[in-house]
Amino acid sequence: MPQPESLLWVATVTVLIWLGLFGYCFGLDRRVRRLEEGE
Amino acid sequence: MTKRSNWWPWLLGAWMAVVIWAAFYYAPAARGFKGESARIVFFHVPQAWVAVLAFCVNLVASIRYLRSRHPLDDARAATAARLGLVFSVLATVTGSVFARVMWGSFWNWDPREVSIVILLLVYAAYFALREAVGDPERRSSLSASYAILAFVTMPFLVFVVPRIYWSLHPDTLINARGSIDMESRMVQTLLGSLVGFTALFFWLYSLDVRLAKIRWARRERQGG
Repeated sequence: MPQPESLLWVATVTVLIWLGLFGYCFGLDRRVRRLEEGE
Repeated sequence: MTKRSNWWPWLLGAWMAVVIWAAFYYAPAARGFKGESARIVFFHVPQAWVAVLAFCVNLVASIRYLRSRHPLDDARAATAARLGLVFSVLATVTGSVFARVMWGSFWNWDPREVSIVILLLVYAAYFALREAVGDPERRSSLSASYAILAFVTMPFLVFVVPRIYWSLHPDTLINARGSIDMESRMVQTLLGSLVGFTALFFWLYSLDVRLAKIRWARRERQGG
């Protein structure tokens, strides 16, 4: 496990948060588009 | 139903890829901080900003609901509050990572940490209230009124309390002298991240509102 003050640790936390948010948005975007097309 | 363009999520993805690169390679390491901990500011500050923005949107939508009594305004308010809560939690998590590096512990009972927890509880109570009331119209009216009261506490908890008491927290972005004491490449990276997170917030917000519209249209069809 990287040291808490290392670049790898900080980068891992921040990039995981961003990727999580972005991935969730992407998935939700596709779902909403599908539902709108079905309306 | 009109076909919506889907190029801009890719633009946002590319934009944030550049911001992440800039946060770790373009911006210099901040002076006076342990290791690379200060780089988290490029994500922590935008998350806190988006939380404040979301609570402002929640206030506006709640006032609009009390005037219009339209269920979609209530859905807008609830969506904004939910996003405000999510981004407050994320700002707390990134702040805790910074605290672990700088002060040796994830949690230090610092005034800023305590005030954000109180804010989280205030907005968690908004959702407890929504769950507790069965009648939709009554639920919407009560939660819109509560949202206005909750918003009154937000500037006090976010901006006033941490400045009244001595805090471990570093100077805020715009400090008491009214200036930004940051190297220009750091300011550029931070502004880029602020733009990216703000766009992400509006994307999430619009998706949730579109989902609420679909549900509302279905309920209307079933009711009619």
